[in-house]
Amino acid sequence: MPPLAGQRPHDPAETEASLLARAQAGDIAAFERLSGAYADRIFMLLLRLLGDRSEAEDVAQEVMLRAWQGISRFRGQSSYFTWLYRIAVNEANRALDKRARRPAGVPIGADELQLPDSPLRDPSRQAENNELRQALARALAELPPPLRTAIVLRDVEGFSTQEAAEIAGISQAAFKSRLHQARLRVRAAVGDQTLVSVGG
Amino acid sequence: MGMPGRPGDHQWSQQHLSHYVEGELRPRARRRLDRHARNCVDCGRGIRAMRALVYALQGLDGLAGVRAPATIFDRVRLAGAGGAPSHHA
Repeated sequence: MPPLAGQRPHDPAETEASLLARAQAGDIAAFERLSGAYADRIFMLLLRLLGDRSEAEDVAQEVMLRAWQGISRFRGQSSYFTWLYRIAVNEANRALDKRARRPAGVPIGADELQLPDSPLRDPSRQAENNELRQALARALAELPPPLRTAIVLRDVEGFSTQEAAEIAGISQAAFKSRLHQARLRVRAAVGDQTLVSVGG
Repeated sequence: MGMPGRPGDHQWSQQHLSHYVEGELRPRARRRLDRHARNCVDCGRGIRAMRALVYALQGLDGLAGVRAPATIFDRVRLAGAGGAPSHHA
């Protein structure tokens, strides 16, 4: 999946390959140019997986540090973007593991999860959309991290199964199993009535 | 009144609704679910609900205005100030 529009390096001569080579030689500015193109998407992913802005900011710094420390070992088996996303997923899961002993799940903030506006601009429809958004937020927050990662990567972020499995660091078969489990759980938590009446 | 189709069709269909909307079922399995869902209110609604769920989740991709914090490279810079960590081209 490409980065968001407008986030590629501005200088066309400054290709990802040349930035990567310079970063691997220890050039921090090149590393920042290279990774900065994906920083917003990485941060959005962390927000979705962690549901907490301050924690996402902290983990985002850690992701970039890990990437910087490991970039000399990056051999291009995957795209740089996929490699960076994989670090982000690992760091998010690490943060969630630390959090796991807390008695209550940390909810994903409703502000972080936005449904598209209803084209009808109908207030009752908007209220239903809001209800669905809240229900989805609660359901996603209650998923075990591996299932949440699967559904966020595939359905929210829109990666193909192959890409998402690569980022999650598991086989496609294992990824599909997690995705389907996650969908079943979210469907059960939100309820068919809500899903069909709002989204159907 | 029992569930339509072969015994076990209902439970099997409920477990495979996500595979169904993902288009992952083989033709024979898809036909099995289609056949059952035609006469099963629960599974017919389940298909609509699963499609609506995937659509709603895709709609959550509404964070286009979110920007990474300006501090995102702070630790890299701090680490870099102490010397690059064993980089080699």
